[in-house]
Amino acid sequence: MAFLGQEEQIREFQDRFRYVYAIVFIAGALLTSRLVYLQVLTGDKMRQYSEENRIKRVKITAPRGMIFDRDRTLLIDNRPAYDLEIIPQYLKESKQTVQVIGVLAKILRMPESKIYEILQKAKSQPSFMPVKIKTDLTRDEVATVESWKISMPGIDVREEIKRTNIYGDVAAHLLGYIGEVNATELPSFNKKGLKYKLGDNIGKFGLEQRLENILRGIDGEELKEVDALGRVKLGQGKGRVLDANSIKAAKPGKNLVLTIDQDLQLAAATAFGDKSGSVVAVDPNSGEILAMLSRPSFDPTEFSRGISSAQWNKLINNENHPLRDKTIQDHYSPGSVFKTVTAIAGLEEGVIDEKSTIRCTGSIRVGNRVYHCWQKHGHGELNVISALTQSCDVFFYRVSQKLKSVDDLAKWAFHLGLGAKTGINMSREVSGLIPTEEWKKKRFNQPWNPGETLSVAIGQSFVLTTALQLANMYAAIGNGGTVYRPFLVKAIESFDGNLLEQFKPEILGRHDLKPLTVELVKQGLWGVINSPRGTAYHQRIPGADFAGKTGTVQIMRLSADKIYQKCETFKFRERHNGVFVGFAPLKDPQIAVAVIGEHVCHGSTGAAPIARAIIKTYLEKKFPDLYSEKAVAARLKGVPLNPPPVAVERDEEDIIIDNDSIPSVPIAPPPLPPLPEGIEKDSSELDD
Amino acid sequence: MKHSSMETPELGSSNLRLGMYDEEFKRFNWTLLVIELLLVGIGIFNLMSATAVQDKSLGLYKNQLLWFGIGLGLTALVLLPHYSILSRTAYFLYFANLVLLVAVLLVGKSSLGAKRWIGFGGFRLQPSEFMKLSVVICLAKYFESDRTLEGYGFKDLLLPGLLVAIPAGLIIVQPDLGTALIILATFATMMLFLKVRTKTLLVIGLCAAIALPMVYKVGLKPYQRQRLISFLNPNADPKGSGYNSIQSMIAVGSGQLTGKGYKKGTQSQLNFLPEHHTDFIFSVFSEEWGFIGSLTLLFLYMGLLINGLSVAYQSHDKFGLLLSLGIVTIFFWHIIVNMGMVMGLLPIVGVPLPFLSYGGSSLLTSILCIAILTNVANKKFMF
Repeated sequence: MAFLGQEEQIREFQDRFRYVYAIVFIAGALLTSRLVYLQVLTGDKMRQYSEENRIKRVKITAPRGMIFDRDRTLLIDNRPAYDLEIIPQYLKESKQTVQVIGVLAKILRMPESKIYEILQKAKSQPSFMPVKIKTDLTRDEVATVESWKISMPGIDVREEIKRTNIYGDVAAHLLGYIGEVNATELPSFNKKGLKYKLGDNIGKFGLEQRLENILRGIDGEELKEVDALGRVKLGQGKGRVLDANSIKAAKPGKNLVLTIDQDLQLAAATAFGDKSGSVVAVDPNSGEILAMLSRPSFDPTEFSRGISSAQWNKLINNENHPLRDKTIQDHYSPGSVFKTVTAIAGLEEGVIDEKSTIRCTGSIRVGNRVYHCWQKHGHGELNVISALTQSCDVFFYRVSQKLKSVDDLAKWAFHLGLGAKTGINMSREVSGLIPTEEWKKKRFNQPWNPGETLSVAIGQSFVLTTALQLANMYAAIGNGGTVYRPFLVKAIESFDGNLLEQFKPEILGRHDLKPLTVELVKQGLWGVINSPRGTAYHQRIPGADFAGKTGTVQIMRLSADKIYQKCETFKFRERHNGVFVGFAPLKDPQIAVAVIGEHVCHGSTGAAPIARAIIKTYLEKKFPDLYSEKAVAARLKGVPLNPPPVAVERDEEDIIIDNDSIPSVPIAPPPLPPLPEGIEKDSSELDD
Repeated sequence: MKHSSMETPELGSSNLRLGMYDEEFKRFNWTLLVIELLLVGIGIFNLMSATAVQDKSLGLYKNQLLWFGIGLGLTALVLLPHYSILSRTAYFLYFANLVLLVAVLLVGKSSLGAKRWIGFGGFRLQPSEFMKLSVVICLAKYFESDRTLEGYGFKDLLLPGLLVAIPAGLIIVQPDLGTALIILATFATMMLFLKVRTKTLLVIGLCAAIALPMVYKVGLKPYQRQRLISFLNPNADPKGSGYNSIQSMIAVGSGQLTGKGYKKGTQSQLNFLPEHHTDFIFSVFSEEWGFIGSLTLLFLYMGLLINGLSVAYQSHDKFGLLLSLGIVTIFFWHIIVNMGMVMGLLPIVGVPLPFLSYGGSSLLTSILCIAILTNVANKKFMF
């Protein structure tokens, strides 16, 4: 019924319902087919996605192996530290972000702008990856953040085991530090199947780097059920699907037991004070390195925890190069300590013997050049023993002249381990240099000049050696001619202390010296310290037959007016280097020590006391029956235990006033200081 | 008014009803109410799962139950009089609702950056929800007396267009783009049903094609633009604006054939799904009940639409026909847009799923719609 005329219209409308029904059915079919697609056809994949969503893989960092010295004193430990992280995904531009950052800034006592800056820098990485805001939180900070955590989504405190070098800057170069693997290093590691991920720590320097494979543990993994805010669901079992095997435990790295004796390290560091230079002590009967220090140093722990650019700049701008390992990375003119090589060459080649004497008048003339002795007025009549004791230059000039060529001298230098890398398991060792005729021809395309042999004979000219080589050479002299490969790791142990691998001495070369040669050289070296005419008489250790050789090396060409000035009046960087190498006891040496003191002016006062301190510490510790003060006092009744101060001025000892023998061109460019980022260059040397 | 004569037979039939209770009961169209009951039941049950873990939404289903109770009371009220009362009060209802919309903008409550609610004692009402129904009633009333069969032109569309544009505009500024779009889509659907001249359609189509890029640039807020971009390529920024869409699709898909089980949907229980008790409620259901459950739900909705359409089809007067058709259109767009959005077929638009999404005003509007449809259905045999 209704309105008049409406029937017609309603019939017309009813016609149109066909279309309406059709549309509804089509829409229904469309929704149904989408359901089929999502739930039936791609359901498996979607289910997998939802699982990945829900289950976060949490890395359990494996503790790195610890490092002990030979007496099991802990040198590098893992200690817990707490970092604050933000997961940017949960911080969208909103009032809440401002609030969260505001609170955080107050808790951490850092400016808000700093936090925003850090977050800004991390913009390029996926937003679900945590960004480290502050490292090493205090306990108070950790507690406060934890209590605020519920109202601060995306904020997390992460416990991390931090690498700690317990003795700080002592042996920084030896032990090294770790750091996060960077994107450029990653491919070279993963090529070797080591499976590192960004953010993993790797050794970047020193033993930490060289023995990465041993120290590194295998990270574990825990599957955790998390909600969309990244909070771990603790639930009461409701809705939790993960079972107990969701944890794969971390496997700790292996521990190292070093050949190093930390007591010697500390004694050396104390003796060095604020001088710069290096010291190496080896066991002459095995090649075990007992002490190895480079000064000045740095605290590797700072590096392992992320060094600030200010600290970094301070280190890199320090003109004494704290980042360089001066024990193996730098080579120096050995100066007079090289005279033992000349003596050995002379004795072994038969050009001198125990009866040979040479008269020193203060200088000799070769062609139209005069070669001076450091003792202007001459030493008089000397044999090989007194020549070594008094470090007479002329004596060794003459010996070198008697040799067929410089190659005969070089041969014995090579036999004693000079001029080649020792092959110690450390990065960036340099080989030093022992010149030969062939070398000069190759290097400068010039024939050997006979006068140059004289400079080589007293350790000048092209001769370059590292502290490690010097220690190793004197060790070889001490043991009669066996050169061992110096090594640092005595044993590898599992994290719970089971011995896995033990390292034995390795002989690099053996050129047995005639007993007489050894005897004569030893006596000469003994005289240096124990004879009143010796250059280091005031360094003797009562009761111990301490033998050694001093050297003082001019490092800058000096203008004529400066030549006769006292070294101490020069600018610091122009002062002479002091060198000392020695061993003890004389008969059966147990320790050989080389010390290089940069710009200390004198080998006798700048370097020898450091060697003395190490040797004294070692002997007293290892043979208390023989060398403790008590034992010595009993043995040497009435002899004063501490050497009386010697008034003799020996300032000019050993110094060769010979500008011409100082190469004007550096033989080999000094190696660059290591950059934290630049270390990847060496990663190819990583041991397998 | 012309059609006031209508009341007389209506009164007569009501008198008749008293004496033939049993027959009347049989004639009563229960279908829609039964579907409504099933949907509300599923809705409450699903809401208990969706709100099980979040502290702030815990127990929200109780509110929903309360609203359902209020809705049942209103249903009884709506069923009593003849639906022509709506024709008589159409413009009043429209203006009253419009006043509420203005009030929202002036004194409304903000939530999530939008002003959509107005407080009434302890309740919060969302006038925009009711506006959909008001607009449909108003349009049915407007076109009731019109006799045009050959299609409407521009001039004819001007006034009804204005009737729709005013509330739509008020809703857009809240801002609530979804509801405004539903109102516009409902209007467009109804107008197409009533027939618009081909020429007019072409011109409107052309204008729209020109205006759309401008609207995109000027009219849309950045987040709305972002949603559109994300829809076109949700993987462009999966952790950002495409996040909702992807997580929602993952939720639906991961339900597979039989679902993960009640309250075991990891996507929703662990909050990977945003807004999962309101706009994304379907993904919660889908994840936990799988394809079988989702299809059942879809069939219920289709049943609702088909039944609603048959009510309109069998309606004996133009007002009833347009009213029913308009209501079905509202449901249709809600279901299509919401499910399409949840399943990644459409961009993300904030439109609730009738009976399942949490929200008093939305539920109440849906219940009123079903009540009106039932009223119309019950009157078709009365003549």
